[in-house]
Amino acid sequence: MSNTHLRKPIEIKISTVVAISVVLHQAELDILNAALERMTGGVPDYFDNEFAVVDVGPLMASTATFVVDWGALIALLRSYRINPVAVRNYPPEMEPEIIAHGLSLDVVLPSRPETPSPVAVESAPPAAAGTSNALIVDTPVRAGQRIYAQGSDLIVTAAVNNGAELIADGSIHIYAPLRGRALAGANGNSQARIFTLNMEAELVSIAGIYRTFEDQLPKEIAQRPAQIRLINESIEVTAMALSVR
Amino acid sequence: MAKIIVVTSGKGGVGKTTSSASIASGLALRGHKTAVVDFDVGLRNLDLIMGCERRVVYDLVNVINKEASLNQALIKDKHCDNLFVLPASQTRDKNALTEEGIERVLKDLAAMDFEYIVCDSPAGIEHGAVMALTFADEAIVVTNPEVSSVRDSDRILGIIQAKSRRAKDGGEPVKEHLLITRYVPKRVDAGEMLSHTDVQEILRIPLLGVIPESESVLHASNQGNPAIHLEGSDVAQAYQDMVARFLGEEVPMRYTTYEKPGLLKRIFGGK
Repeated sequence: MSNTHLRKPIEIKISTVVAISVVLHQAELDILNAALERMTGGVPDYFDNEFAVVDVGPLMASTATFVVDWGALIALLRSYRINPVAVRNYPPEMEPEIIAHGLSLDVVLPSRPETPSPVAVESAPPAAAGTSNALIVDTPVRAGQRIYAQGSDLIVTAAVNNGAELIADGSIHIYAPLRGRALAGANGNSQARIFTLNMEAELVSIAGIYRTFEDQLPKEIAQRPAQIRLINESIEVTAMALSVR
Repeated sequence: MAKIIVVTSGKGGVGKTTSSASIASGLALRGHKTAVVDFDVGLRNLDLIMGCERRVVYDLVNVINKEASLNQALIKDKHCDNLFVLPASQTRDKNALTEEGIERVLKDLAAMDFEYIVCDSPAGIEHGAVMALTFADEAIVVTNPEVSSVRDSDRILGIIQAKSRRAKDGGEPVKEHLLITRYVPKRVDAGEMLSHTDVQEILRIPLLGVIPESESVLHASNQGNPAIHLEGSDVAQAYQDMVARFLGEEVPMRYTTYEKPGLLKRIFGGK
């Protein structure tokens, strides 16, 4: 046997961390507090110290000049057990203040247009984009396992069991039962979709909007081929007729 | 080269120790020199099931800490001359298990010409369970036909794929087998229990055996007698079939279908 057990004192590896994003449409702390209070319904552990990225983009879009009391905002979020670690879509002049409060700067690449112009479709067929670098998994994805296809589609040819989690920045294709969770469009792509040959999912999400299936699925969908899309900010599950000829 | 088999499940109370004792005994009965190691440090049970609890002097942790030699700690089984038990420590906790220590103990066992080393894993997915599966060549995943047990078995299969030495070294993966225990064909027939095909459908690993639920298992355990020694019982035969399949023989599944009792049996009773 080898001696791989000899541990190095420090190891540097790439690791993907899942965080929630806190999108601010208001900077007024009282309003935010009231909204959070309503959302959590006074349940103290509604959030579980999840890492959070504070997105001030909508604020910037609505008013040219706005002020954020970072110290008080961080304290407010922490009081709801949300753990802010970074800020995105901030105006450049805010940078020093954000850093001074111990938060990181999340530089987001300009997002792709959600509906590509007809010209773009003609010049680059969608299939070409999907085939470039999809992550393909051929073994069952088991409870407690999490697979993340960063910046691409995810294709799974074996069962995704209860308690397993698939995450992709693109779409997710499962040529087997989906019994666990599938989160497509993880970087905000609302055009992403989820496909499975056997719909038994615990939870599906597209671009951060999720739906659970505590109640039984409708008969025409349950344990049948299904496609999951985001239509008007809500998750639509539709049966898929498979035609083989 | 010794083959290291981990008997694991994730969930507790599904029959890991009962199965470990019977598998190890079955291999020994077929003439293979076998050791069975209790990894459940702090909650040692294997010695009770094997009926050797009064002969425990040294244990696995003593051997890992070099306070005793393997020869001192190994207990010869009362039924089979070629079966030895390495008990767990009752007074320590699972942190006493170190990867280096376990690797050394397993190597030393292999050097003593053991053909099979059966590792009886503790329940859970923490340190003790991970240590039991780290060096495995093959895994026997013990599952009861109910959803929480199946879910936990799924989880432990993922851990085998991630944390075993074979997985980390990128060699041939650990060979996985499914063992379904406490199976009641009557309740499966009535739709109250998952069938073995339902379980296989979810876990998707080859089925090694189905052990029927039986009151005699509890009785045998209390007597310190592995269930495989229960002459003529369905449980003993199911374990013998399972060991035969493990050794590569083709044996049809028994005790998996429910036959409605006939008229005479209904009139004259009997269980």
